[in-house]
Amino acid sequence: MSISDLAKASDKSLIQAARKGDQKAFAALVRRYEDTVFKFSFKVCRERAKAEETLQDTFINVFRKLDTFDGKSKFSTWLYTIVSNNCLMKRRRRKRDDLEESLETFDNPPDGGPQSRQQPAPWEKTPDEVLLDKELQTLLDRAILKLPVDYRLVFVLRDVEGRSTQETASILKISEEATKSRLRRARAFLRDQLHPYMAAQGA
Amino acid sequence: MTVNTCREIYRHICENLDEDLSSPRCRQIRKHVDACPDCRAYLDSLKKTVALYRELPAPELTRSAHAELLETIRLEFSAVESKKTRRGGPKRTP
Repeated sequence: MSISDLAKASDKSLIQAARKGDQKAFAALVRRYEDTVFKFSFKVCRERAKAEETLQDTFINVFRKLDTFDGKSKFSTWLYTIVSNNCLMKRRRRKRDDLEESLETFDNPPDGGPQSRQQPAPWEKTPDEVLLDKELQTLLDRAILKLPVDYRLVFVLRDVEGRSTQETASILKISEEATKSRLRRARAFLRDQLHPYMAAQGA
Repeated sequence: MTVNTCREIYRHICENLDEDLSSPRCRQIRKHVDACPDCRAYLDSLKKTVALYRELPAPELTRSAHAELLETIRLEFSAVESKKTRRGGPKRTP
């Protein structure tokens, strides 16, 4: 395939060519998706070096498993499954169970509804108005890193990347119910982590 | 507002934010949220949480990381090629 053909070719034809040993076709797939994979893994692990390592590992896995891609799902869905698995494998061995248990409390707020968890001081400022603040960026990084990776993956896929519940469940090979429950807990957890800072901004 | 309603609202808004608001149940939820300042503030803060993460910048992939990746792929292809060659065995001269 010529360079312009490679750029125009469908994922499917690039995969077919790469299976036959066409290195240029595989490199075209890499170019097409490397930014997506790198940025997605950065959003999950919040660290450049880890995201670069995940990028490398992901495309090595893609290359080695190319024959197993059956084409029933979109290539991007399959790719997200591989990168998500790599993110999961890199998770730090830590007090994961403790946090997971505490996340369950986000399903059932104490009596009194949302307002009883924290005072309902409104968040007056919009994200645009506060996002330039380095302190907030650090806070956002710290908050998301407190979540177990499997919750982070659901949050990033659904809310940041805009994937549907069905596709997220399919990528992570979990049920749609589990996807919804992790998303609900992750959203509530992150919101509570940011609340003291954001509520103070509006004061 | 009853405590139970707020509890139910909490669960629902955490799960759906503002998606699929056409069902009768969602319309009911929306009606409650519109009338309940606490639930409204909570929903707003959840939406802003999501918006903040959506807008949080991610760095660009560097040229060196891109080059390293292509080199890794080249090595993977070479490894497969040399395996194939080994399987074929060395050519013997008579």
